[in-house]
Amino acid sequence: MFKQLLRNAKQRLRLFLSECGRRARVLRDSLRQQPDRIDPSSRFVRGLHYGYWEREARGLELLKEWLSPEQLAQYAAKSYFEVTGCHSGKRYRISHGTAMNIHELDGAGRPRFGWCFTPKGYLVAGDVMLAQKIALETDERAALAVANKFPVLTGRRNTLFDC
Amino acid sequence: MATQIVMDRTGDTRHNFDATNTEALSKAEERFRELTGAGFTAAVRTSSGEPVVKRMFDPNAEETLFFPRLVGG
Repeated sequence: MFKQLLRNAKQRLRLFLSECGRRARVLRDSLRQQPDRIDPSSRFVRGLHYGYWEREARGLELLKEWLSPEQLAQYAAKSYFEVTGCHSGKRYRISHGTAMNIHELDGAGRPRFGWCFTPKGYLVAGDVMLAQKIALETDERAALAVANKFPVLTGRRNTLFDC
Repeated sequence: MATQIVMDRTGDTRHNFDATNTEALSKAEERFRELTGAGFTAAVRTSSGEPVVKRMFDPNAEETLFFPRLVGG
């Protein structure tokens, strides 16, 4: 009796999985005929015609075109590059990212504070880092005027108290 | 061929135009005014590769980059 029940359950499960597989194939074929719907980002953000990775790659390509050879080598090796503020002459490290990715460096090249400012609207990381670089190199004061300062946690103390 | 590159959610949008064509140049200048009027910053690169911000349309610029207004993050 128990064996019979088990056999019936197995058969039902097999039929169920077979039906699921068939429906999945139909759905996949349907999506393939509508390329825009396959790109997950285009389903949620109106106006996006490129895939996420393509947008990111375009942004990084543009950034690399505008970096100096030294900055490009540094970015390729360490995923960050350093710029000099046009007004103060201070050094800033811009790390790969879109927010809280700028650190003001001390004379020894250690992060002292963080600065956070970004171009308004949704932009990919490459574009954000390029805008940050140009802003610090051409109009440092204006960039820092809108920026938010944040502490850098070090082993010894929180730099918030130095702000 | 000159280019205006506008950062946007697709990465960037490029507008190529013939700088020797008066009509194309006029359109490019109009685009420059519209974008900077909307808060975009326009930047070009010097021959040594350093970025320079442009407040006025430069008809001789080979490549002009526009990025949106900066805000605190």
